[in-house]
This record gives sequence, C-alpha cells and structure tokens, in this order.
Amino acid sequence: MTTSGDTSFPSRLTKIDELTRGDHTFLEAGDECLFFGDYSARKGFSHSATNQLILNFKKPVRFRGTASWRYKALAINAAANAFTQNLGAALSQLTLVPVPPSKLKTDPEYDDRVMDMLRAIRAPAGVIPDVRELIRQTHPMAAAHESANRPPPGEWENVYAIDETLVQNEPTWIGIVDDLLVTGCRFRAMSNVLKRRFPAARITGLFLARRVPEAIDFSEFFTDLDQ
Amino acid sequence: MQLELISQDFAQRAVSPFLELGAYESLWDEQSASFKSIADLFSKQEGAVPSDFVERSRASSYANDVHARLKDAGIRSYGVRVHGAGDYPERLRVADHPIELLYFQGWWELVNSPRSVAVVGTRKPSAEGLARTRRLVKSLLQDDFTIVSGLAAGVDTAAHTAAIELGGRTIAVLGTPLSKSYPASNAKLQKEIAEHHLLISQVPVKRYSNQRNPTSNNFFFPERNITMSALTDATIIVEAGETSGTLVQARHALKQGRKVFILESNFRNPELKWPHTFEERGAIRVADYDDIRRHLVPVTTH
Repeated sequence: MTTSGDTSFPSRLTKIDELTRGDHTFLEAGDECLFFGDYSARKGFSHSATNQLILNFKKPVRFRGTASWRYKALAINAAANAFTQNLGAALSQLTLVPVPPSKLKTDPEYDDRVMDMLRAIRAPAGVIPDVRELIRQTHPMAAAHESANRPPPGEWENVYAIDETLVQNEPTWIGIVDDLLVTGCRFRAMSNVLKRRFPAARITGLFLARRVPEAIDFSEFFTDLDQ
Repeated sequence: MQLELISQDFAQRAVSPFLELGAYESLWDEQSASFKSIADLFSKQEGAVPSDFVERSRASSYANDVHARLKDAGIRSYGVRVHGAGDYPERLRVADHPIELLYFQGWWELVNSPRSVAVVGTRKPSAEGLARTRRLVKSLLQDDFTIVSGLAAGVDTAAHTAAIELGGRTIAVLGTPLSKSYPASNAKLQKEIAEHHLLISQVPVKRYSNQRNPTSNNFFFPERNITMSALTDATIIVEAGETSGTLVQARHALKQGRKVFILESNFRNPELKWPHTFEERGAIRVADYDDIRRHLVPVTTH
C-alpha cells in the first residue's frame, strides 16, 4: 500500500520551512517540524500514495472487521518503515512521544494508531527505540475534524499532563509524533508542556504528512464510505 | 561537491523545499546552464538534491530573492516539488533531461489523475481546429480525463477553456515562470487555473527575468512540452504547422513511450509532411474520439 498509480509514499523527510509554515497556524519560526508528503485530497480526488496512506492510516475504528480494515495495518507498517529508514542512528538519542488520540481509552472510537506505528519502528543493532507516552490526556476533547470550532492550543495544554511515572531517564531530544499536521495546534500544546518540564530538550515534530490548506477534511471520505 | 552532510543528523538532512528552490535558481544562474547541464550534474550523484551543489548561504539568498519576486507578482501561495523528496511525480524521469525541481500553484493532486492527456496544437488554429478541440475535450471529459495543455494561444487556450467551462479538470504546464503569462491575454485564465486547477512551471524565475534579450527565453517553451508529454498518458495533436513546437512534444512523447494521436484532418492537408513522418514513427492517426478511446480507456466487462 505504499504505491498508488506511479507514485510511492515519499522516502525522505521534508522540513516545514518558509514555503509551508504559514499553512499551519500555530507553528512558529523556531519549530523544527518534518513530514514525508502532502495530504492534498480535494473533491473526492485522492490518488497519490501520500493521500492513500493517510486515509488508510486514519481509518476510523468503526471499520474494524470490514474488508478495508487490513489497509490500515498496512499503512501503519509502511509509516513505521519510513520512520525506521529515516531515523536510523538517531534512535539512540531520540525519545518518541505520540500525540495522544483525541478519544480517551474508554471511548469505543479510541484509536491507538500512532502508538502502534511507533511500536513497529525498528532501530539499528544495539539500539532500543525509546518510545514513551509521556503526555497523557486527562479529559476528552472532540477530534479536530469533528469540531466546527477547533480548540486553540491553550485548551489542549489544559488537558495534557506529563506522565511522571515515565520520566526516569530525562529525554534530551524529543520527537513529537503525529500522523497529520493540520494547524499545528496539538504540536504547539505538546511542545509547550514538554518544554516546561524538560527545558533543555530539543524538540522535533515528526509527521507522516502535512495537510495543504485546500485539501478537504479526510472525514468526508469516511462519510462517503458509510453510504 | 557534497557539503556538510557527514555531521548532520536526520532532521538537518531533511529537505527544505525553500532552500532547494534557491539552490535550483542558483544553478540556473550560472552561465550556459541548461536542462541538459543540470540533468548531467545530477546524473553523476544519485539521490542528490539541488542544495548538495550550492552553498547554503547562496541558496538562501536566491530563495529569498525569488520568493520576493513571486510575491511581488501577486502570487500568494505556491509550492515546489523536488526530485527525491515529497510528492515529486516519478513519471517525469522518463524525459531526456528530467527536471529536478518544479514550481506549482493549485490542486497538486491533479498530477495523479488516473487518466490524463495533453491536448495541444498550433497557436493559430483554424475555426474548425478550435471546434475540434472543444469537441475532443468534451468527449475526453466524459471519460473522466484530466486535460493537460501549455496555456499558449490557440489550441492550448481552447483546450483549457473548454475543460473549465464543461466542468472538467485541467493542468497547465507553463513555458514561463509562475509570475509571467504568455500570451499576456491569458493572465486571467492562468489565475483561474492556479486557483481551481493546477499550474506547473519548471522555468527558473531569476534566470528568466535577467535575460536581456527576450528571445533567449524562448527555449523554455519546447522544454515544457517535454515535461507535458512525460506527465500524461498520451498527447493528442489537434492541428499543427510544419514548424510547430507541438512537434517537439510529439517526438518526445514517442521517445518516452507515451502514445501520440494525430487528428485525421492533419493528414488531409497536402502541405503537411509531419503527420506522415510521425505516423511512421508510431503516432496513431485518429478519425474520431472512439479511435482514441479504444487505446486509452480499458474495456470493462460487466
């Protein structure tokens, strides 16, 4: 599932820079954020490997048991492979921290896909990837795509808390990992919370894709699939 | 020259499209730079990106300059694709001198249209040629093709316009930088395509505007035809003269393994030799849309 037509899911990371930073409202000039591809689906048109990977990766839990569900596992594996290839030796320094799912564990729609992907990352010999759910979400928030008024980073900061049971080895370089960079709201909130607790740590945002402004919300695809 | 790579971590090695466009523009600003000289440079170093050949400070300075020029020209939003990173279209690699970087505005995903054809031809078509273009586009749209052309006067303009008016999708591959329109009368159409469809340009902004002699930029036009043929499944020539730039596209399309269709009417013009020459080389003579359809649309069995 890494190819679609003649395209393949990008194998090299790209930086958010002067060309793209303005597309992600809450990112600041000093933020280091990396991604593989552009999520650019519009008007029911979604053919690139990046678009397909994101749609499969984000496939809601309610599709479990349907024929299309296996594509989600394939997308998770493809994403893990892409990170494995790129992070390489840096895995000995990095602490990978997933952005928590927008639903709490008790919610039937709870989707642990980012953590599943992180668990599938392979490190070079002698290195054990340091994957830690350092940030816990204490209260539920509506998923970004389900809310007409997206909550600002401050509201996310209020529901994010450091899991103090996981901080024995102080992280020096934190990779905040999420599937899709949209406004950068949750990255901002995560980054702020982590910086307060670990002021000396370098922070890098790691995303499968960034959403270009004109792209439609992926949830529209799933609405179609429901019919 | 491989600069600074050894000591960099993965995040520093990640591609910055902004820096790459600056490096690309800098490579183009060297004397005698051409698509060939740049492709030759890259062919010697697999996996290279433009910034591997240009000092960072120089690339940054070019990037800032070009960015300012594009903003001054009223371009609020644009992107670049870099070979080796992001969503660069691999199908462009079939060209003789594949482009390492391109600029775009609009709906990028159209590049990945499951069906796409280039509809091209003369800048001075006959009234019948224009009518044929429109009919052809209408038929192609019914089979869900994305219509690709070069935004030149004549057949190109008619193809884009018909696609838009009939509710289809269209891609324009420019022979100018995003900041210029040629002909100037197509500025409005170019804007429309940039906003609602897709505009692509491989033309370096700074090199183009620094040329004192206006004709020295003319070579960019046939070069974009080579990109257009690589980008599409097939090229359809509606009407063309013996010396038309369209024939560059026909030649390269065949070389790239793409289909070329020539409308029958061209064969009926006794003054034209090219239709016969290209037919001998593998182009397909077509009397009507069904002839094209037979080659491009798979037969489905229900």
